[in-house]
Amino acid sequence: MTEKAEDRKPLLSKKIDKFFTGLADAWNFVRRFFKEVFIPPYEFKEVVHQCYRIGVESLPLIALTGFIVGIVFTNQSRPSLSEFGATSWLPSLISIAVVRAMGPLVTALIAAGKVGSSIGAEIGSMKVTEQIDAMEVSATNPFKFLVVTRVLATTFMIPVLVMFTDFVALMGSFLSVNANENVSMLTFFIQVFDAISFLDIISSVLKALLFGFTIGIVGCYKGYNSSKGTEGVGRAANAAVVMAMFLIFIEELLVLQIVNAIRMM
Amino acid sequence: MRGENKRSVIVGIFVFIGIAILVAGILTLGGQQKKFVKSIQLKAVFDDIGGLQAGNNIWFSGVKIGTVRKINFYGDSQVEIEMNVEQEVVEFIRKDSKATISSDGLIGNKIIMIYGGTTMAPPVEDGDRLESVMPLDTDQMMETLQVNNENLVEITGNLKNLTSKLAEGEGMVGAALTDSLLAESFRAIVKNLDQASINSNRMIAELQNFTKKLNQEGNLFNDLVTDTTMASELKQTMESFKQTAANSEEMTQKLSAITDKFNDPNNSFGMLLNDPEFAETLKSTLENTDSATYNLNRGMEALEYTWPFNKGFKRKQKAEEKENN
Repeated sequence: MTEKAEDRKPLLSKKIDKFFTGLADAWNFVRRFFKEVFIPPYEFKEVVHQCYRIGVESLPLIALTGFIVGIVFTNQSRPSLSEFGATSWLPSLISIAVVRAMGPLVTALIAAGKVGSSIGAEIGSMKVTEQIDAMEVSATNPFKFLVVTRVLATTFMIPVLVMFTDFVALMGSFLSVNANENVSMLTFFIQVFDAISFLDIISSVLKALLFGFTIGIVGCYKGYNSSKGTEGVGRAANAAVVMAMFLIFIEELLVLQIVNAIRMM
Repeated sequence: MRGENKRSVIVGIFVFIGIAILVAGILTLGGQQKKFVKSIQLKAVFDDIGGLQAGNNIWFSGVKIGTVRKINFYGDSQVEIEMNVEQEVVEFIRKDSKATISSDGLIGNKIIMIYGGTTMAPPVEDGDRLESVMPLDTDQMMETLQVNNENLVEITGNLKNLTSKLAEGEGMVGAALTDSLLAESFRAIVKNLDQASINSNRMIAELQNFTKKLNQEGNLFNDLVTDTTMASELKQTMESFKQTAANSEEMTQKLSAITDKFNDPNNSFGMLLNDPEFAETLKSTLENTDSATYNLNRGMEALEYTWPFNKGFKRKQKAEEKENN
């Protein structure tokens, strides 16, 4: 069937046709996810298991990254602000940067690298070794068991991880600000919450949900559609990370525009 | 199975902590930005809001009391600001309070500042419109600064000329700065002035001492100024002096009349004092009297030795001798 399609004369060009075919496949994949997610049976145990792998096991890496980001961003911003004597604005600046952008973005990028590749490779190897076919034969819905559980886990775990990242990054920033500007924790957090709004928190959570969904769905899609043996597994893992990161940046840009439009209203 | 349970618990704790951070953040944010506080709406109309945005803070006496809710165009080109102000501070904001646009630092966010208001006016109510005061326009400030700059350039030019003349020793001040003799003279003047000021200080101190003494109770000058009875007595004394002077004048007039009469040779005193002929006659009379007295004395002496007078004289002599012994 595939060979016949490949033998057919391309509509626009071979590459463009392939791109749009891929897009249609991805769309069908997403549509199938939303269809399967509401249809029982629900794989709660597997979802919890994936939540553990994706959320809890990623926490140390993401928390450490967030902590470093908080300290580094604070130390890098200080010289610019101190040029016009505005180092007292550091908590506000860090707060806006971390809550609005850095928290969700850093978490999503780290998760894309760690979780996205893992999902892509795992499902890819299952596909290559025909475990997925075996599941279908044994009357288990592989899509529900492998894809839906993982996508749900990433979708809900990334926002939780973002909360941890925000908190740890702000604590890192506080350590730096406290060491250099002698600002108390109370003053620091008053300034932090003075600079942000509910819209920032809501957009941050929504963005994290979107990023989580993207990481999960891209990883699963790439793994589910991998081929060409062990090489295909590597490619699937790699493509899952690259595509997820690319989409995360695109989404960040789009969400930023929407949030700014809402802010102006 | 046990491992799955453990994993579920860990995931539960993990999610719980994440949600707790989120809820704590939302509550802190809401509490700090007074999102869950009851508020009323106030309005103010400005010609130019200088970039003020919805969500900017409202300050009253330096305290954040609300946020800008909405910005609408109003009238021809004015802008109406709708503000959410906390219910609990409403009693302190009076209807005659004013609203102006400021910033929370040199380069900070725009804020609306509510100030003024008197206790004579009642507190504001929901929907009230505050009187707005236009803030200082940055462009106008820059224009004024430009004028100041130009003036400064002129002033520095003048100063340059002045200092060069001073350096060359032109003019009195220049000479004072460069001429050593003049400087010495100045020093002497200053020294004298210093001495004069010391003396004047001393004099002032003495004057103070003197006036202090004058002000002491019982002192004549103090009594003069402060004692009201003395003033009336003085008045009476002056009246008496006046009367005495009048009497003296009258007496002088009478004496003058007497002396006039003395000078007149037609009366006996005037003739005695002024008539030389009468004086000659009086002189000759006195000489004759003197001569007669002399002759009388000689006659009397002769009588002493003449009988029967000599016996009387001898008895008188013996009586005198007896008294003396």
